[in-house]
Amino acid sequence: MKWKKIVSVILAVCMVSGLAACGKDSGKEESKKTDNDSKDVELTVAIWDSNQEPGLRTIMDGFTEETGVKVDIQVTTWKDYWTMLEAAATGGDMPDVFWMHAHQIDQYAEYDDILLDLTDYVEKSEKIKLDNYPEEISDIYIADDGRVLGVPKDVGTSALWFNKTMFDEAGIEYPDETWTWEKFREVAKQLTIPEKDQYGLAMKPASDQESWCSTVYAYGGEWLSEDKTKSGFDKPETLEAMKLIEGIIQDGSMPEYSVLSENDTVALLESGKAAMVFLGSYMLPRLSANDYVRENCDAAPLPVGPKGRCSTNMGLAWSASAGGEHTEEAWKLIEYLGSEKAQIQQAELGVTMSAFNGTNDKWAAYEPQFNLQVYVDALEDDVIYPYSKNTQVWYQMILDKMVSVWDGKRPMEEVCLEVADEMNAYLAEE
Amino acid sequence: MQKSRLTRDWKECIWGWFFILPTMLGLIILNIIPIVQTIYQSFFKTGSFGRGNIFVGLENYKNLIEDSSVWQSLINTFKYAIVEVPLSIVIALVLAVMLNRKMRGRTFYRTIFFLPMVVAPAAVAMVWRWLFNSEFGLLNKLLNTVGIGEVNWLSDPKITVYVVAMVGVWSVIGYNMVLFLAGLQEIPRDFYEASEIDGANVFQQFFHITLPQISPTMFFVLVTRIIASFQVFDMILMMVDRSSPALPKTQSLVYLFYRYAFVENNKGYGSAIVVLLLVIIMIITVIQMIMQKKWVHYE
Amino acid sequence: MKKIKYGTVIKHILLVTGAIIMLVPFVWMILTSFKTISEATQMNPFVIFPSEWRIDAFENVIRKMDFLKLYLNTFLMIAGRILCAVLTATMAGYAFARLKFKGKNFCFALVLFQMMVPTQIFIIPQYLMVSKIGMLNTLFSLLFPGLVTAFGTFLLKQNYMSLPKELEEAARLDGCNIGQTFLYVMMPLTKASMVALGIFTALFAYKDLMWPLIANTEQSTMTLAPALSKLQGQFSSNYPELMAASLIACLPMIILYLLFQKQFVEGIATSGGKL
Repeated sequence: MKWKKIVSVILAVCMVSGLAACGKDSGKEESKKTDNDSKDVELTVAIWDSNQEPGLRTIMDGFTEETGVKVDIQVTTWKDYWTMLEAAATGGDMPDVFWMHAHQIDQYAEYDDILLDLTDYVEKSEKIKLDNYPEEISDIYIADDGRVLGVPKDVGTSALWFNKTMFDEAGIEYPDETWTWEKFREVAKQLTIPEKDQYGLAMKPASDQESWCSTVYAYGGEWLSEDKTKSGFDKPETLEAMKLIEGIIQDGSMPEYSVLSENDTVALLESGKAAMVFLGSYMLPRLSANDYVRENCDAAPLPVGPKGRCSTNMGLAWSASAGGEHTEEAWKLIEYLGSEKAQIQQAELGVTMSAFNGTNDKWAAYEPQFNLQVYVDALEDDVIYPYSKNTQVWYQMILDKMVSVWDGKRPMEEVCLEVADEMNAYLAEE
Repeated sequence: MQKSRLTRDWKECIWGWFFILPTMLGLIILNIIPIVQTIYQSFFKTGSFGRGNIFVGLENYKNLIEDSSVWQSLINTFKYAIVEVPLSIVIALVLAVMLNRKMRGRTFYRTIFFLPMVVAPAAVAMVWRWLFNSEFGLLNKLLNTVGIGEVNWLSDPKITVYVVAMVGVWSVIGYNMVLFLAGLQEIPRDFYEASEIDGANVFQQFFHITLPQISPTMFFVLVTRIIASFQVFDMILMMVDRSSPALPKTQSLVYLFYRYAFVENNKGYGSAIVVLLLVIIMIITVIQMIMQKKWVHYE
Repeated sequence: MKKIKYGTVIKHILLVTGAIIMLVPFVWMILTSFKTISEATQMNPFVIFPSEWRIDAFENVIRKMDFLKLYLNTFLMIAGRILCAVLTATMAGYAFARLKFKGKNFCFALVLFQMMVPTQIFIIPQYLMVSKIGMLNTLFSLLFPGLVTAFGTFLLKQNYMSLPKELEEAARLDGCNIGQTFLYVMMPLTKASMVALGIFTALFAYKDLMWPLIANTEQSTMTLAPALSKLQGQFSSNYPELMAASLIACLPMIILYLLFQKQFVEGIATSGGKL
């Protein structure tokens, strides 16, 4: 009797361990299964933008049809993507194929057993010639020792979006390619009507990629020296450009900073609060889904500065895991995705601007009611969005410091010089 | 006599270890080892992917002491806890006592107050951000119509941390309430019946029976809530934008840890921040363990 | 007689006010799920109702997400974690509360210690453990972080400590050994706390985002929380779909709670009354 009860307790404990063991067995079986039927290999692909998933799905279906290799697309939000990928890289269990970003590539390039070395594959490939992509983009994904670690996927430029209705009401002509940054500043002031809760412009520190980083380069300044060892924030040209931005802030052409910090600039365009905002080409899915924007807004080129027009450009690449089980198939997928056919498809489907030279007229035609050609034209005057080995550290620092300028608490020049100092300290550590 | 006493103690010892063994084994593997690793890591300048770590001794700690944002975050964390913990406990206790009795709509109310527990935090944060939006939020529009000016709920450095704390209260009331309800169930009914015969009113019953009887649950809620509030992170991340002027005066220690360890790839420094947090929570918990003798009534 | 009525009125006023505050965000979620993206992102606070009640968002998420599979995986994860948590925590909680043995205080200090550490630091080391034994993307990896629970051990320990000693002594006098006393006398008395622990384990598991996100990336073992987080894009979120999916995802949890909350009312009150 007594023992019966003890046994029941022990049984209960065994259930716990049994459960664990149970999970183990089913896991083994599963992995065995995939080994046995190696004919239908399934590749895992990791991306971070769910807006692109449907389009990529279509493209990858084409790949599966051609090769019989199945593809499982896993979307992880940008915020968690790098945590996931780093953990996977540390444990040696990365997805087979995944998106790579300029801000992260250098860390992953440091070791040779993390990203699959694509050099030989690219050399032998008929479909992939790195000359077919903008050189500055493909260069990002070539390590210092010459290893090719990624095949360019897309490019991304910026444009000025404006509210046609507000321009019509004020009797101002729509922005065009003749606009200078000074002219832009003037118009922003004219379009600001606080009584109507209407502001000429919405731009925040984090809009740098679409706006004020481009301004700096249009004025001949820079964020980062070409050899990535020195900050350019103390250069006179940079300061001149940043002072123009400071002027715009002080003109009162923008909503209060609290409003800017709590809302996306695109939301302020969508709700008819801001007459102009700067937006990247990757925003198209959101913009074309908005009825108000479709009715009232359009795109124009970025204004020009003393050194001409300039738009930052940033492109992702497809990379593969060095430790994956199916590296051959992974390369085949990357080759497919980088091929002219798939790149044209990516543009046609409006997924995003493709990296393959000359394919983006198709992208611009995807939403004919917007003047998307300005994004394609911006590729002519682009500068690669600055990055170094540990970009995240100094990039976040810049944004944090700029808050005090936007907030009206500190003068721009002082903050820029401080940014330069701290950035130099970070760069020295790299 | 002496011998049987000994074997009884020995038996109890074996039973005790038998009962705690699964838990302890699991804890050591799942948690204690990672904690030790974290402490170890705090003495290193860490490289990516757990490789290329360089031993730097106490340098991370030296930087930590000199880093004003760390101390500001600590103050923010305290501010958050001071609002969230007492409010959520008092409101939940009152609710639990009210809803423990037979009354109309009891199930309905219990469900309503429990709802915040079951929805995706991302959806909750989105809704609250919209409600608190300074320009377009419902709350400010209402304040405007009654003639009180607008408040920058999520970008005024003075109040944002309290606003986040209020959302914290909103989301944990149900949690505390469930615990209190469970605790209340274990109070024998005859205690109340006896006091009713003695002519005690509702308030007397609450202070003389309910409170002392529920004190072990209360102690549990207090300890776990304080620990949890010191670990506040998700709500700040989702409600306060990185570019908000209020962020420096709102971000918590865990938020700072997250930023260093997962965004800026400085795991060594992040680990040092965790160790600091750990020490502070430990001190507070030890104080509570000692204080419990004064107010917690065990049978 | 009048006095009691006043009290009841005040009580209901308080409860109704509280309930409204609790409900506002949910009403907003429901309304948003019926809107178009344009309406949902419109910054006019007085656009409260959708211009037309659309069920597009619901249709879209049901098409996009395999809810049956997600429910099943989440259910398996929850059920497994509840089983492990309640079992290990009940035993350990009883031992910590009622038994005397060497090393008890030290072990309990470890339990408390675990709770003090932010969970974010466990994710990567635990991931590496599971990855090393090749168990990623399995049922086991879903359960792994929930095999034991410090929180539950502490909760049940507190509960055992508040139970009257007489019961236990009587059982011992009847000749029960420690295991029998625990199983037949003490454990049934903590049913309310075990249910509470079950509910919390379920909720924590259901909301656990980071862990399944990195340890269970394959569709076949994906759970609800990471699937929901996919709806948040980097540059824009589809709010109607996010809200619709959240609503669909939390329905089973609400139903489960409604079923279990009975345990708080009837089941235990009687056993307490018998004392």
